[in-house]
Amino acid sequence: MTIPLLDSPATGRGRASTPGGNARKKRAQDPSVIILTTIVCAILLMIIGFPLFGLLSSAFAPKGLEVLGRMVTDPVNHRILGNTLLLGLVVGVTGTLVGFLFAYAQVKVKFRGKRALHLLAMIPIVAPPFAVATAVITLFGRNGAVTNGIFGWQADIYGLPGLTIVLSLSFFPVAYMNIRGMLESLDPSLDEAAAGLGAGKLRVFFTVTIPMLVPGLAGSFLLLFVESIADLANPLVVGGDYTVLASRAYLAVTGEFNMQAGAAYSLTLMLPALCVFLVQRYWVSRKSVVSVTGKPAGTTELVSAPIIRVPILILVGFLAALIVSIYATVLAGGFMKVPGVNNTFTLAHYQFVLNGLGSKAMVDTTILALIAAPIAGIMGMLIGWLVVRKLKRASGLIDFVGMLGLAVPGTVLGIGYLITYNTPVNIFGLQVFPALAGGSAILAGAVAIVMVYVARSLPSGQRAAVSALQQIHPAIEEASTSLGADSATTFRKVTLPLIQSALLTGLTFAFARSMTTLSPIIFLTTPGIKIMTSQILAEVDSGRFGNAFAYCTVLIGIVLIVILILNIIIRKVVFRGQSHRR
Amino acid sequence: MGRYINKAAALFAVGAIALTGCSATAATSGGDESLTFVCSPQEDWCQVVAAEFTKASGIKANYVRLSGGEAVARLTAAGENPEFDAWFGGGADGHIAAEEVGLIEKFVPENAAKIPEEYKDPDGFWTGIYSGALSFCSNTDVLDKIGVSAPESWDDLLDPKLKKNIAMAHPGTSGTAYQAVWTQVMLNDGNQDAAIDYFTKMHSNVLQYSKSGSAPGQMAGRGEVGVGVIFAQDCQKFINEGFTQLKTTFPKEGATFEVGAVSLIKNAKHPEAAKKFIEWTLTAEAQDLAATVGSYSVPTNPDAVITDDMVDTSTLKQLTGDIREMGQARNELTSRFDREVAPAPKS
Repeated sequence: MTIPLLDSPATGRGRASTPGGNARKKRAQDPSVIILTTIVCAILLMIIGFPLFGLLSSAFAPKGLEVLGRMVTDPVNHRILGNTLLLGLVVGVTGTLVGFLFAYAQVKVKFRGKRALHLLAMIPIVAPPFAVATAVITLFGRNGAVTNGIFGWQADIYGLPGLTIVLSLSFFPVAYMNIRGMLESLDPSLDEAAAGLGAGKLRVFFTVTIPMLVPGLAGSFLLLFVESIADLANPLVVGGDYTVLASRAYLAVTGEFNMQAGAAYSLTLMLPALCVFLVQRYWVSRKSVVSVTGKPAGTTELVSAPIIRVPILILVGFLAALIVSIYATVLAGGFMKVPGVNNTFTLAHYQFVLNGLGSKAMVDTTILALIAAPIAGIMGMLIGWLVVRKLKRASGLIDFVGMLGLAVPGTVLGIGYLITYNTPVNIFGLQVFPALAGGSAILAGAVAIVMVYVARSLPSGQRAAVSALQQIHPAIEEASTSLGADSATTFRKVTLPLIQSALLTGLTFAFARSMTTLSPIIFLTTPGIKIMTSQILAEVDSGRFGNAFAYCTVLIGIVLIVILILNIIIRKVVFRGQSHRR
Repeated sequence: MGRYINKAAALFAVGAIALTGCSATAATSGGDESLTFVCSPQEDWCQVVAAEFTKASGIKANYVRLSGGEAVARLTAAGENPEFDAWFGGGADGHIAAEEVGLIEKFVPENAAKIPEEYKDPDGFWTGIYSGALSFCSNTDVLDKIGVSAPESWDDLLDPKLKKNIAMAHPGTSGTAYQAVWTQVMLNDGNQDAAIDYFTKMHSNVLQYSKSGSAPGQMAGRGEVGVGVIFAQDCQKFINEGFTQLKTTFPKEGATFEVGAVSLIKNAKHPEAAKKFIEWTLTAEAQDLAATVGSYSVPTNPDAVITDDMVDTSTLKQLTGDIREMGQARNELTSRFDREVAPAPKS
């Protein structure tokens, strides 16, 4: 299971290696393609286009312009902007480093317990955003169980240091998976060639392995940069006085209800995020020196030289212990009266989450995520198919818009939805659809939440589909077409079964992401719909860590169970005999 | 065959009604069998209030917990088409701030006759349900370690020894924190600049401005900071929950009181249910619920039970201010705080 986020854009440019790249010239545009394209475009417009447009027009309204003006002139805002960029930089470096260490140990170093290490590296993906922050305060805060309890040292983790620890540990899996994928596809004969020419292990590591990984490292760094400047939850909990743009925009919206100011801050936040995203996709990915040659020739020789093995294993062991202790705290904290202060055993927190007020949040969130996941999964496959196989000029644009859900910070997307969908949408004086967000909207605002879920989780499926399709020769589909099936039938009967593992990846990530997303949701919860992540924020903010831990554990449990069921359903039921194992 | 056509027609009609959206559903649900209220006190109190009201009246009650500032913001956002029917709890100044922009409906409940004058709006927009005194909630272990005693006055909070050892909420989101800001305005004879100046000085001692008002008490309880600026009833709640090293002290300049209010939202979708709800919150039975979930604010209904955990108002030096003036100044003061105090660097 990999997140192929680092693939180059599917515009066909510089992709001579795409199998059958020249077989694209003949493309009968049958009606089903046109209909599907229209549907996909309409949905993309609704879930991403309109909200961003609403945000832009708000940011350029008089009040927004005032804030934008102050952004340039006011030193206070300069500091907030500086804080945000510095945070992105530091977390980008640290997270990539952690991801690299894990990936390198996993692929190249000889040791026991690789499977456990892999699972450990994946936990943060299914965990809600506060699990780490809350546990870190309990363990390493000023009165932390470890820092103060064991070492008697009053650590000050509020601000940049705490944010770095928390965000790096939350986001490193992306870096881990990307770098691991690259390491695995590195041709070991290069190592052998270097060794054959007399280079020592250390020299091979620094002069062959690392340079080959530079694009992967740079790509991971940029992704982590975007993720960390967009994060809202953690700066609210461990930010201390370290104000960043995301939390500033949140305060402007919830505290002052100054939508325009919120929009203006969001715009300032979106610009660096988008730039970095563009650089990552259109520049770094093209610099890739890893040629896709299919299976690597020969098997990778595991490193057993102590000079590399020992330091790497010590570091990885330390980090693994840190992660284990954090999630153990989450698990145990749910059963403690006041975690860290009064550790008496209690079931009250689970009672609250499973039976009390929390149960509604649990049910609502799971249902909405279950609705959103298939939509996002299928949309991702469809976009991938249209982009790789069917569309010519528009493919780059659709591919880009689909990815925006990931590139645009969650806070920005949430504020955009709030501005656009809190009132009925009118085009030329005609009501197109009623209010979708907010408590008085239809279905108590559930529609907007599902839309955000789809927008946020679409990209991972789309990338998986694009990269899977690029490896399948179009002749297979052409055979189906020449036997008389139209495009839609071909997609359903031939293409989809072929890319089922991409679909599964898409669905899995869509569900996990929907369940754990907070930044856009926090602006959209309503009296009728309670969402677990925003309930967790409320519990953490009022300091009821026990409830928060119980929520986190239950949420992780739900995600794992659903992923398991999804795997079984997809493999055993939906694609019964048509399995295409890769 | 005809049956199927009928069924199809019925389905179609249902679909059409559903598609016409909120305006249709809102119009048909005037039966007032449910209501949604904003709830500003702590979550467990909100929970028990909603449950007990449903039990007492048969009306289904939903709530969203929003702190004072958030509630004003959220109500402003919805404007003419509110998602809420009533607002339970939170300082009266917040209700006034909302009333200033025309979001609160005038409503004088019958049960308000029992409530003493000082807990009622002379103009009839809100009625008090509880009151609470602003206090310093100190962790004695932490303070012993840094060698200061529990603060007895606002000036004590400026002690450099308390650097990064105070927690307070952000007045933009929290009524508790705004109470603190307004206390400084009162102590400076209405001079808002002097109040902002005070918080600029205190800023270096503040570790973090939290979102909700009671959070600083938990931070003090866990030993993350030495002092939390919160209401005495919240501090007492934490003490009873097991944070036994906490201690409540009051500023010697005089304690200021928040009046927790209940009010009716303008253009509420369920006005009758909301009125019943407001009447009910003023009864002694409803007000006694607070103490059962550990909220020890002082009830306004004279028949309600006063427990030992509540602040004894007779022994405290009190400062009283003009709640309406406090509400009117809210937006400007909080945005000044946000611009001039919160983002400043610490010395």
